[in-house]
Amino acid sequence: MVQARTLPPNAFAAMGTVVSVRAGGSDVVAARATVIAASVFERWDRRCSLYRPDSELSRVARGELALSDACVELRDAYALAVAWRARTGGAFTPHRADGVIDLNGVVKALAIAEAGEAIGATGVDEWGVDAGGDVLVSGLRAGGSPWIVGIADPGDRGAMVASLPLGDARRAIATSGTAERGDHIWSPTDVRDASFVQVSVAAADIVTADVVATAIIAGGEATLDELTACEQVDVLAVRSDGTLLATPRWPRAA
Amino acid sequence: MRARAFVIASAASAAVLLTGWQLGTAGTDPAATTASNGGTSKTTGGTDASSGSSSGTTDATDAAATGSTTQQAGSGVADGTYPGTTVGTRFGDVQVQVTISGGAITDVTPLQLTDHDGRSVSISNRAAPILRDEVLQSQSASVSFVSGATYTSDAYVQSLQAALDAAGF
Repeated sequence: MVQARTLPPNAFAAMGTVVSVRAGGSDVVAARATVIAASVFERWDRRCSLYRPDSELSRVARGELALSDACVELRDAYALAVAWRARTGGAFTPHRADGVIDLNGVVKALAIAEAGEAIGATGVDEWGVDAGGDVLVSGLRAGGSPWIVGIADPGDRGAMVASLPLGDARRAIATSGTAERGDHIWSPTDVRDASFVQVSVAAADIVTADVVATAIIAGGEATLDELTACEQVDVLAVRSDGTLLATPRWPRAA
Repeated sequence: MRARAFVIASAASAAVLLTGWQLGTAGTDPAATTASNGGTSKTTGGTDASSGSSSGTTDATDAAATGSTTQQAGSGVADGTYPGTTVGTRFGDVQVQVTISGGAITDVTPLQLTDHDGRSVSISNRAAPILRDEVLQSQSASVSFVSGATYTSDAYVQSLQAALDAAGF
């Protein structure tokens, strides 16, 4: 675990990763927004993280706590995940192959959304929250230009394959990869199709972006075609040979 | 191989759509035929769609051959746009609009599409191959966040995001 002192003032550790925050036009506003976001993530982490052995979700996973006895947020997150399982034809599922209920993706997305709302409630309209590569923004960047998100190159983590400006209809982007959580103690989610090594999904909200990205990584090209037809999303997918697929509205070079 | 499979699948889809259009314009009055064929052709379309993946190449060739014949024989079809019949596919019901100009098909555009739950869908949002230099790039100074597969808190230190956070971009 990274010590707090090694992180810059606009970032904090949560859910096994690092959350980065931007807000307003001054360091003071940004620092306050970071504290607000950290408290939101702390609460979600305590209840729903499989990274914490004492969380309610870890106790559910070990069979020490019935899901029906868990807090309402955890039960709602589970209901949301199950609804998305149906909506993605089973490509997204909160049930891991080993039987453990894994709500990490949904919970992280819910925490990002709630952190953004909490920052907005303080009167700051222009902010961005990035939890380990899943991003939600509001308004414009300081200086009046749109928030721009780079897409990591899965073949070279120090490089970007593309970039994308976020706006009103696409405030969120999430990227899912086959290497995701590879060095975590829990086994990665069941990957049924190896078509893609990385899938980035832009959507109006972060839950849709996160779930659809995870579903396409699991379900491959068939799921990609089904979900781009039904969901309001823009997708950039990197195949295992390094070539790219993009939906028509994914931004092109001029 | 994957690209070829994609092309064949696309051709098979086009064959299904074209077949549906032919059924819809088999009569002399395009508008009237379309209306009366709406019910029966849906069953035919469903069969085509399910066999499309196994014998896609054959279907596409056949459709191309009959398609051009129809074009020559159909010189009597007046210019204009005609709605095709609704075809059942694995994505749900698909209906296309065909534009005829000078006796030839000049455009095929999707009309109402619904999935199996009756929601509107769009096959025009399908992802297609794109070269790396065709996607938008940005200077790192204009990028605030990097979206990628989730890094661990330990790996963060070496991530691009850590550099952007330190710089305050």
